[in-house]
Amino acid sequence: MKSSTYISGLPWILPALLFLVVIVYYSIISTFNLSTLDWNGLDPIRTSVGMKNFAKMLKDRVFWLCLKNTVIYFGITFVVQNTLGFLFAAILHSQVKLSTLHKCIIFIPTILAPATMAPVFRLLFSPQGMLQSVFNSLHLPITVDWLANPNSALFVLMAVAIWEFTGMSFILYYAAMSQVDKQILEAARIDGAGNIRTLITMVLPHCKGTTVSLAMLGIIGALKTFDIPYLITTGGPNHATEFLGTYIYRQGIRQSHLGYAAALSVTLLVLAIGGALASNYSKKGD
Amino acid sequence: MFEVRSKKNKILLQLILFIMTVPYLIPLIQMVLGSLGGRGLYNYKVVWDTGVVPIYFRNSAIISAGVIALVYAFSMTAGFGFAKLHVKGKEYFFWMILIALTLPEVILLTPLFVTFQKLHMYNTLFAVILPTAALQLPFTILLARKFNEGIPGELMEAARIDGANIWQVFTQVILPMTKPIASAIIVLTLINAWNAYLLPLLFLQSPNLQVVTLLPQYFQGEFTNDQTKILAAAVMTAIPEITAYLLLQKNFEKGMIAGALK
Repeated sequence: MKSSTYISGLPWILPALLFLVVIVYYSIISTFNLSTLDWNGLDPIRTSVGMKNFAKMLKDRVFWLCLKNTVIYFGITFVVQNTLGFLFAAILHSQVKLSTLHKCIIFIPTILAPATMAPVFRLLFSPQGMLQSVFNSLHLPITVDWLANPNSALFVLMAVAIWEFTGMSFILYYAAMSQVDKQILEAARIDGAGNIRTLITMVLPHCKGTTVSLAMLGIIGALKTFDIPYLITTGGPNHATEFLGTYIYRQGIRQSHLGYAAALSVTLLVLAIGGALASNYSKKGD
Repeated sequence: MFEVRSKKNKILLQLILFIMTVPYLIPLIQMVLGSLGGRGLYNYKVVWDTGVVPIYFRNSAIISAGVIALVYAFSMTAGFGFAKLHVKGKEYFFWMILIALTLPEVILLTPLFVTFQKLHMYNTLFAVILPTAALQLPFTILLARKFNEGIPGELMEAARIDGANIWQVFTQVILPMTKPIASAIIVLTLINAWNAYLLPLLFLQSPNLQVVTLLPQYFQGEFTNDQTKILAAAVMTAIPEITAYLLLQKNFEKGMIAGALK
């Protein structure tokens, strides 16, 4: 009898593979093809323009703005969300009361759809919202119109993203911390290391694998960002919260510049694969 | 992780935790307070009386069930094949799947729109189920493969010596042993299918084919910016999700952990 290792696995992987090829690879190839055309989706004439869509992209101020927004968004959300997630995990691993309640409150945002929460955030950060009433009752001279202001709108979206994804960072750090050797921490304490120092010099390095995984998720997530900006600000005001996803949607679906949208899509795909490979490489570099 | 002995420090730590958690509650409080503005609970009655809520929920449930069925079948078989069986050029095939892991859904829109219209699948639930499943698969195949690799080969060999064919090995040995990862895969897929927004927005047009994530938009049109009704609809969408989470808490958390630590 043949050992199982020599039984052909092709019939087992082929259904999944064909499914992905038909839907995903077909779309990728057709996007590459579209990116060399000037086409509005309806016109029977599709003009081939070679690399002109890409040349146009490099001169497009909004394209660079999308990249800038993505970098700022990733940088700030990555640091804040993971610091908070790490601290929550550390505190909830200590002997505190009501830990299940706190866990649930931090985790619930990760399962709620951005589409469900978007109207809430639009209200919360408007002059009719709860924040404004709190400021008013404290007699603070602050006007909450942060979504209408191009300088603050991006930060509001980051706050929303941090609200939504801290639960993810928390749960991963929480799982990683369960494997920290308590005796080593005890030994460090006997040597006189305080809580903060033990946390930074011993627990944080132990969780390095988790941090790298979160960085990879964060990079891909920032590049893919669509729901939050589209639903809360639709990329405005004046492109201040535009991301590649929302810009592709604007160009392709709203304005029927299919060729240009495809060129942006190809760029987005290349960046996402590059980002994933780079963070995967840094993981192996350990 | 923190060692606090004195009473004062214990209270301090508890206080820090409380202060850190409050911001996570604020949007939820705003949602509930906002939904009760104006005429209070009457807002919920108005939203319910439109009759669209059960329809939107039904469609979301059908889509989620369809996506879960596809993802489960494809990830369990492919995970097994990749981990335990002989495939020539296995890693090349696996890379093909991993590349799709990074794919933003916005890239799929135009090509799928054209294809679905040709195949008369535009404005059917399939137009959402198929791509949502495809976007989910790379990740779940990865999880299933990793988990299968941890199952000792001896168990399979023993079953084969007892006369089981490979299909029986799969159903009688592998499937029972992969239950933990299967439940994680199902929960992760459920969250993503239930929360899907962009594909339903574009590929479903008929009013009786809409899904829960499109409820706020529907009420924006229906009640021209009467925020209280829109928020009442949001609360009604959030409650089943929160309930499901509280009931299946452990599975959700396992799903998330499995999802990120690959």
